[in-house]
Amino acid sequence: MAETALRKPVKVAHSYNGAFASKFAKSMFTTVTLLVILSFIGTRMFTHVDLNLYGYMVGTFVFLGGFFYRFIAWGERPPTKIIITKGIKLMFRKSTPKTSVEHLATYKFIWNRGIYRWTQHVMLGWGCILSCLVTFPLVFGWMYFTMDEGGYYTVVAMGVNVMTVDADGIIAFFFYNALNFTAIMVIIGVCMALYRRLKNMQARAEQKFMYDFLPLYLLLFISITGLILTFMNVFLHGAGHYAMSMIHQYSVVVTLIYLPFGKLAHIPFRPLSVFARNYREHYGEQSMKKCKVCGDEFVSTEQSQDVINVLGTNEMDFTMEKDGFNLAELCLPCRRKYRIARFSGFATHEVKTKEANQNAKG
Amino acid sequence: MKKRLYIELENCIGCRSCLAACTQCGGHEQRNRNYVYDVNPHVSRQTMPLMCLHCENPACARSCPAQAIQIHETGAVLSALVEKCIGCQNCTIACPYGIPKFDEEENLMYKCDLCIDRTKDGIPPMCASVCPSNTLQWLTEEEIERKQQQYDLDNGKWVTSMPYLEGATNVKVNLPGILQGTEKLF
Repeated sequence: MAETALRKPVKVAHSYNGAFASKFAKSMFTTVTLLVILSFIGTRMFTHVDLNLYGYMVGTFVFLGGFFYRFIAWGERPPTKIIITKGIKLMFRKSTPKTSVEHLATYKFIWNRGIYRWTQHVMLGWGCILSCLVTFPLVFGWMYFTMDEGGYYTVVAMGVNVMTVDADGIIAFFFYNALNFTAIMVIIGVCMALYRRLKNMQARAEQKFMYDFLPLYLLLFISITGLILTFMNVFLHGAGHYAMSMIHQYSVVVTLIYLPFGKLAHIPFRPLSVFARNYREHYGEQSMKKCKVCGDEFVSTEQSQDVINVLGTNEMDFTMEKDGFNLAELCLPCRRKYRIARFSGFATHEVKTKEANQNAKG
Repeated sequence: MKKRLYIELENCIGCRSCLAACTQCGGHEQRNRNYVYDVNPHVSRQTMPLMCLHCENPACARSCPAQAIQIHETGAVLSALVEKCIGCQNCTIACPYGIPKFDEEENLMYKCDLCIDRTKDGIPPMCASVCPSNTLQWLTEEEIERKQQQYDLDNGKWVTSMPYLEGATNVKVNLPGILQGTEKLF
């Protein structure tokens, strides 16, 4: 009884949800309101808005529109919906922090795919993440600098004076140049990725310009125009700064708008892999499905049933009436042997023997 | 001219050349993605290959929460996109033939992509290009149709044992002649 209650929560008409025509409208309104409130606090009631960066703000709002449109449409697909709803329910597992760090910060699974790809991805990934962590607080005024005393900058975060740094000091140096460092990281990552795309045979066979190259070129363009800005300020006494800052700003805005629709969409969607891992671990601990032929445990009962249901919504049903099982209830070797049985007419899957030599090792 | 992989199951001699060839395909990283099974392991030497059949409506792609499994314009159902695969393994459970493999370390599914780097340009996949017994063939639609006519006597006496696939596939399979009820008994 307790389990059924857990699976089908009673729907309470929520007054907040009722105020909106759609999920999209609700998400957009909530996020924009939250950003405005945070800016209001961060900028000390809008007294410290950096209007030089307002293009990025508009870009961010357009990005949010695209992001919610794409994410909500995607989340309506039956298998995605299952992972999202069950993932949210299982978010607070003990292993979640470890899994999150491995999947989203250190990219351990990419390390296992190769050191080259890992280095490339760390450069690109962390270059972009750090850039965003610097840029967006500045855009929304969550962080800004004031100079109360000559030669010393006061760092203000969320309207609170955090620290005072020497304007010529080492800490200030890192503040000024943070985006230069991340730009170099991104450029290294993009160059490694481009080199791989030119050399790797599989990549060459499958890649498309619009899907695989365009995002790399966009990132490269942003990084280079950003570095040129620094170059102009340091070596050219600021000549051409305004034109270049507009070019840079537009390139960022275009990339933000494009982000939810192309290859870069994997950035906001990646936390799903943590959900997927939790889903497998949690239901695997609860009960494992025994193969209907050999009895080996191969997947959680929950997942086996979920897959059967998802295929059902796609009008696919692999129930074998004559043999009395669904194909999703067979472990992989037995399912393959069952197919051989259907090809040959001999019940291969019922012969109790291990599958022989499937690894091409002589 | 569009060609398809065509499998004549009864020709298989169990040499596993197709497995070895699969490991050598660009991007397969030394791991094969196909199978060869003994039909009746303790009794006879009959073997049959089992490949991804590249369903027209693939269950693996339908069950993927991340839309990582793409269908190429040639009809090939590709291996998961590395940046999209979230490692849930729904595809391995959904596939009616048990084809997709999963790498726990890399948190990534991989499956037969019909050697897309070759077949998109009309070159036969690795397995078909090495098969010494013509079990795996790379044929045009007309050639496949001719083969199928050859096996279909349509005399009302001979029928196949049972429906053997779960849906329409891009790879065509023929059952062993003995089941098709032709005169080809050995």
